Amino acid sequence: MSSISVDIDNRGVCEVIFDMPHSSVNLLSTPVLEELEAHIESIKKDTQIRAVLFKSAKDGIFIAGADIGEIDSLDDESLAREKVKRGQDILTLITTIKPPTIAIIDGAALGGGFELALACDYRIATQNPKSKMGLVEVSLGVIPGFGGTHRLKELVGLSRALELIMGSKKIDADKALKMGLVDASVPSGYLEFKINSLLRELDSKQGRAKIASKRAKIPLIDKYLPAVVLMIASKRAVEKTKGHYEAPLKLIELYRASEPLSVEEALSLEVDTFCSLVVTPTCKNLISLYNTSEALKKESGTTRATKPITIEQASVVGGGVMGSGIVWLFSKLEILVRLIDRDPKQISKALKHIRSIYKTLRKRRRITDHQISTKLDHITYSTSLDAISNSNLVLEAIIESSSAKKDLYREIEARVSKECIIATNTSSLSISDLASELEHPQRFIGMHFFNPVNRMPLVEIIPGQMSSPKSVATVVELAKQSGKTPIVVGDCAGFLVNRILIPYINEAIQMFEEGEDMERIDALVEEFGMPMGPFALADEVGLDVGYKVGTLLYEAYGERMSIPKIFEDIYSLKILGKKSGSGFYLHGSKSLTPNHKVQALVKERRSFDSEEIIDRCMLIMVNEAARALDEKVVKNASYLDMAMVLGTGFAPFRGGLMRYAEDRGLENVVVTLSRLANAYGDRFVPCDALVKMSKESRSYFKES
Amino acid sequence: MRERVAIIDGLRTPIAKAGGKLKQIQADELGAHIVRELALRVGIPFKEYSEVIMGNVSQPPHAANVARVIALRSGFPDSTIAYTVHRNCASGMEAITSAAQKIAAGRGEIYMCGGVESMSNIPLFYGKEMREFFSALFASKTLAQKLLILAQFRPSHLRPVMGLMQGLTDPISGLLMGSTAEILAQDFGIGREAQDEMAMVSHHKAQKARDEGIFAQEIAPIAYGKDATLMMDDDGIRDDQNMKALGKLRPFFDKKNGTVTAGNSSQISDAAAAVVLMSESRAKEMGLTPLGYLKEYAYAGLEPKRMGMGPAFSTAALFKRTKMKMSDIDLVEINEAFAVQVMANEIAFGSKEYAIKNLGRRSALGEIDPHMLNVNGGAVALGHPVGMTGTRMVIHTLKELKRRGKHRALATLCIGGGQGGALILEVE
Repeated sequence: MSSISVDIDNRGVCEVIFDMPHSSVNLLSTPVLEELEAHIESIKKDTQIRAVLFKSAKDGIFIAGADIGEIDSLDDESLAREKVKRGQDILTLITTIKPPTIAIIDGAALGGGFELALACDYRIATQNPKSKMGLVEVSLGVIPGFGGTHRLKELVGLSRALELIMGSKKIDADKALKMGLVDASVPSGYLEFKINSLLRELDSKQGRAKIASKRAKIPLIDKYLPAVVLMIASKRAVEKTKGHYEAPLKLIELYRASEPLSVEEALSLEVDTFCSLVVTPTCKNLISLYNTSEALKKESGTTRATKPITIEQASVVGGGVMGSGIVWLFSKLEILVRLIDRDPKQISKALKHIRSIYKTLRKRRRITDHQISTKLDHITYSTSLDAISNSNLVLEAIIESSSAKKDLYREIEARVSKECIIATNTSSLSISDLASELEHPQRFIGMHFFNPVNRMPLVEIIPGQMSSPKSVATVVELAKQSGKTPIVVGDCAGFLVNRILIPYINEAIQMFEEGEDMERIDALVEEFGMPMGPFALADEVGLDVGYKVGTLLYEAYGERMSIPKIFEDIYSLKILGKKSGSGFYLHGSKSLTPNHKVQALVKERRSFDSEEIIDRCMLIMVNEAARALDEKVVKNASYLDMAMVLGTGFAPFRGGLMRYAEDRGLENVVVTLSRLANAYGDRFVPCDALVKMSKESRSYFKES
Repeated sequence: MRERVAIIDGLRTPIAKAGGKLKQIQADELGAHIVRELALRVGIPFKEYSEVIMGNVSQPPHAANVARVIALRSGFPDSTIAYTVHRNCASGMEAITSAAQKIAAGRGEIYMCGGVESMSNIPLFYGKEMREFFSALFASKTLAQKLLILAQFRPSHLRPVMGLMQGLTDPISGLLMGSTAEILAQDFGIGREAQDEMAMVSHHKAQKARDEGIFAQEIAPIAYGKDATLMMDDDGIRDDQNMKALGKLRPFFDKKNGTVTAGNSSQISDAAAAVVLMSESRAKEMGLTPLGYLKEYAYAGLEPKRMGMGPAFSTAALFKRTKMKMSDIDLVEINEAFAVQVMANEIAFGSKEYAIKNLGRRSALGEIDPHMLNVNGGAVALGHPVGMTGTRMVIHTLKELKRRGKHRALATLCIGGGQGGALILEVE
């Protein structure tokens, strides 16, 4: 079945229309590219053609990119070279068409799709909110390979090309016009008018000159001092990637090396660079995370066919950091949301917090003042539970006290309709237990956001024993709508992420107690690829919070989660972490210095091998994750990995925690764990499930 | 009216002194805040309302037809129609009586009505000279023309015209509202001390009512300022107001001989109020327990320069229409635009002579029992956000009737420009 149709009208305007069968998107797979090649060849022979338009018949999509499955399958550099070079050649063929070529972008034009647009002479983009353009390959650990690096640089200059590719930026039509990426930005309704007027202009020399003169000029520094631009970019890339991601650096290297080269040579070098990256584990891991996120988008949270409730009005009880963050999120979605807190001062604090989040967005030009005031209009507030009767979701975010929560639910149930969903943002209490005294427990569900709500993309969805499929589907859909990634997890202590993370923090503190330097542990863990070390993280979260959750997990899981003695001492000193100015570190100045009060609690100094430190930190998590998988706390290892990446920032280039374990080899993991168990205690004894997987040489990923 | 109009519930913001706590909040935002809050508390879905009607005097330039802006900002769907009414100081009352008419005429069923005023945000205008300068400048085409016009600029052109003062000046008599109050003081022989005393009592009553949480029953707090502090109470009330403090103030309107001061006049303020209305039968059908009912209303016109007598005139019209008399009334609320104006009305109500001469009646309207008049103080202590006051009076009076277990009240006010408005409100 063909994916491309060609239509030539009586004016000699040729339309090349992409419309992949049985798909909601267009992709540049090998068959599609080959089909395109054939069409271009015949277009080139047709002397009647006056202009060639590249269009899509899909709604909201121009061309979404290359076929990621195909990229993922490229394991061998030389085979990859052949394939990619062929694709690049076909897009280059567009540049050899004599009549003007125009890309009509009325939908997403990403990666290879945008490279195709770049190969055209002109581009028109619509102001359709879905019309996002960009070369986003770096987010998958590669660089553009179909001539995009070269053509983008020619069009907008080196510095903008670097900015767009290195940041995997997706930009809209207006911004694209400003940057010179497109020749027109029009409302969708005016698209046909614009195409016609552009075609008329292209008929005359003056017209063409006029279009050319309107394009944004390439900055002088790009022309005369490219070395400086590259140097600055390189410095930034090293800072940002901490050396874990090759793609940005290789892109810079490619631009540096291409400077004296001809177009053909530069294009060829682009393919080489692409191929050297596409076979790296980083690229494969990033692609697998991408695939997982696509799979999660399709999850409704329940196997039952049930329609989620559309949340029109919501109430949030508890105006603390989490509650106010959630109110902000709902207001951003323009859901009428009521903030309830007994203390008017807390309401003021919450409103101030919400405003400050919007202010940050405005500073980054993500939102205008006018939009902010519209969104703030959706927030009401009260010191009592009045006026919640029309809410179809009430989210509780009060203190972690089972009795206080249950009392509150009773009051809520007396006021809302039977269909209203009651959700809790608890991070530690059992959902089934919290639901036990409800009149309608099927409406109750856990919706665990991470702090800070505006920045953390993960939401753990925790159904209790009685939660109805509709309740699950509703909060899953709501989380998706708000741009978060919901992952359904089991109702065990700590749910998924905290259950795995707490042993790791405990272990780090244990090593500190044994005499290791906390800064060294943090540095090693960062080098491993975590966004911050365990001590910095504990300070960030708050030592009181960490201690309480830790205690709860200890009660639930026993000795393997026992809290290091020194943590108890620190807790009893009322050292609370960043919020009190000091935790493991002192937080007064910009750089962190170890807190001498905490340091004084350590009797003797001792230094471990760096490998041992990483093993103790990471494998204790792997062991717990294996248990969680065995208990089916989460659907599969890919989702677990995603939860760890989104919830803790676990090194994405490693693909996630279990992917890391498998890359080491499960056997190696088991052996190392056993050794650690001998040296440091039973908490390291590899769990049965892990031992079994290793013995049977099975993979956590092939089964899912 | 054939059938009473049920007032399901009502709510207001605290009243803030102009230029104070609520100065950053424009009328549309202020109105949207209270309308949204009331709609949520009443619990009738937004889409079930027939219309939103808001009273507002100084309509904000950025939000023409402020009622529609308020409706959309507060959460009503695009399909909800809305319009703004303006009957000067009675605008917040007019919104309610307009809805009552529409309900009676069968043009709609459920109404969100209210009044809003941000006197802090009444703009300053350029004078005539500056406007002419601008229009000539914009019309000029060549640089030479432009320069020629620019050369005519004088700094004095920048002298602003205060919208607030203009709004408070009667356009027919050319008198400031306070000057019309001075006329009443002369007509009725009410001296400075008597006025100050009434003003002081207004503060004392309001202070007591606030302390007893009476106003809190009608107020929805609003967050203001950089710290989003919640404003819970009216801030115009001067605790322990006394004659000495009031006596220190200079007459504002007639500086030489006058008796009306800022202290015995109502305050300039910012606030919003709203009520939900429907027919009594509809309320029954929906199983709602209304706050109370609007039984009847009347407006009346009079000399603009004696506009303060509006209550006497409109009450006369109302009594004529309803065949009621003072003895049918359990509670009276006369808006305190000026202390002297309330006192003049008290005299006029009890005076047969005044009734014959001015109200076309053969007998007096009837003495007002001073213990039943403005029992919790009034605009002298609380403030008079002009477009909002009418709605506030309805909410407050009904709640007070309930608190006292009484049946019927008269709520009346004087209207700048020479009108009066009067309502009969009932509970049960």
